[in-house]
Amino acid sequence: MLKSLSVIFLFLVVGEFVTYVFKIPIAGNIIGMVLIFLALKFKVIPLDMVKPASDKLLKYLVLFFVPYGVGLMVHFETIKEHWLSIGLAVLGSTILTLYLTAFLQEKLEKK
Amino acid sequence: MKAFIALPVVWVFLTLAVFFMAQRLHKRLGWAVTTPILVTILVLILFLSLFDIDFETYDNGGKFLSFFLGPSVVALGVLFYEKLDEIKSNLMPFCISVFVGGVSSILSLIFILLAFKAPEILIRSLAPKSVTTPIAIEVAKSVGGVPSITAGVVIAVGIFGNAFGIHILKLLGITSKTAIGTALGTASHGIGTARALEESKLAGVYSGLALCVNGLVTAITTPFIIEWWMG
Repeated sequence: MLKSLSVIFLFLVVGEFVTYVFKIPIAGNIIGMVLIFLALKFKVIPLDMVKPASDKLLKYLVLFFVPYGVGLMVHFETIKEHWLSIGLAVLGSTILTLYLTAFLQEKLEKK
Repeated sequence: MKAFIALPVVWVFLTLAVFFMAQRLHKRLGWAVTTPILVTILVLILFLSLFDIDFETYDNGGKFLSFFLGPSVVALGVLFYEKLDEIKSNLMPFCISVFVGGVSSILSLIFILLAFKAPEILIRSLAPKSVTTPIAIEVAKSVGGVPSITAGVVIAVGIFGNAFGIHILKLLGITSKTAIGTALGTASHGIGTARALEESKLAGVYSGLALCVNGLVTAITTPFIIEWWMG
């Protein structure tokens, strides 16, 4: 557990470092996520080296973004002022995404 | 009392306790709107407003929980690897569908918000609305959005996909279970995937995979799309 947690934090730190050095507009932990994915894919590290800690973190993942959700209370005014455009944009875009993805998948998988 | 409620442990405890009870409630009822994350957030906001406590005070404790979002996003990379390993053959058409769906989600959202002349901060906050909340939060932060607005809308999108996604797709003439799963995972992340799993095991697997692939696609493309479009 301690070893796998260290490896996860290592990828996190490397990700932050890459973002910092190359000034990429992508968050450090996203870079860390892509790097750990690639490291597993190309067998640089074995799965059991990271699995214990990653399973634990993912089990409680939802809990970790509760504070961001609660932070919504600070933005009530913004939401209230723009609720119609937010609602329509989110609705329209979600339905389009659903349909386009399903349509393509249905067409392509038949071939 | 002021010194007491400034203690981080008070808010860590309250968040854990409310989340635990929300999970209990969801197990009993199982409705899309009783998703534990939604109930937990609503109860906490209600509590804070009722006792006139500001968000900064809550976040004294909250930030200890949200800190773990960093390593958890890295852990998602491990999950993606495991999921992608499940399907070995014919991944290409699937990846194309998810890629096109994911990118059109970002583009169509920006387009509609611009048409409504919505403020730029909203566009930056909502562009990653289709992907799993932790990734959406990180993307919003890196493109100058407000992560809290992102979190709220992403959860709402998930609940919408969970409750209506399948009906909408069937109404539009989609019959393939794998196509339904792929669409739910791409458009409405983990909360939509929960519904795909109820539809069929196969739909659930495709939905889980689509969530992963779109997570990667959105994380990588959003900053560049925003930079290209908004400057």
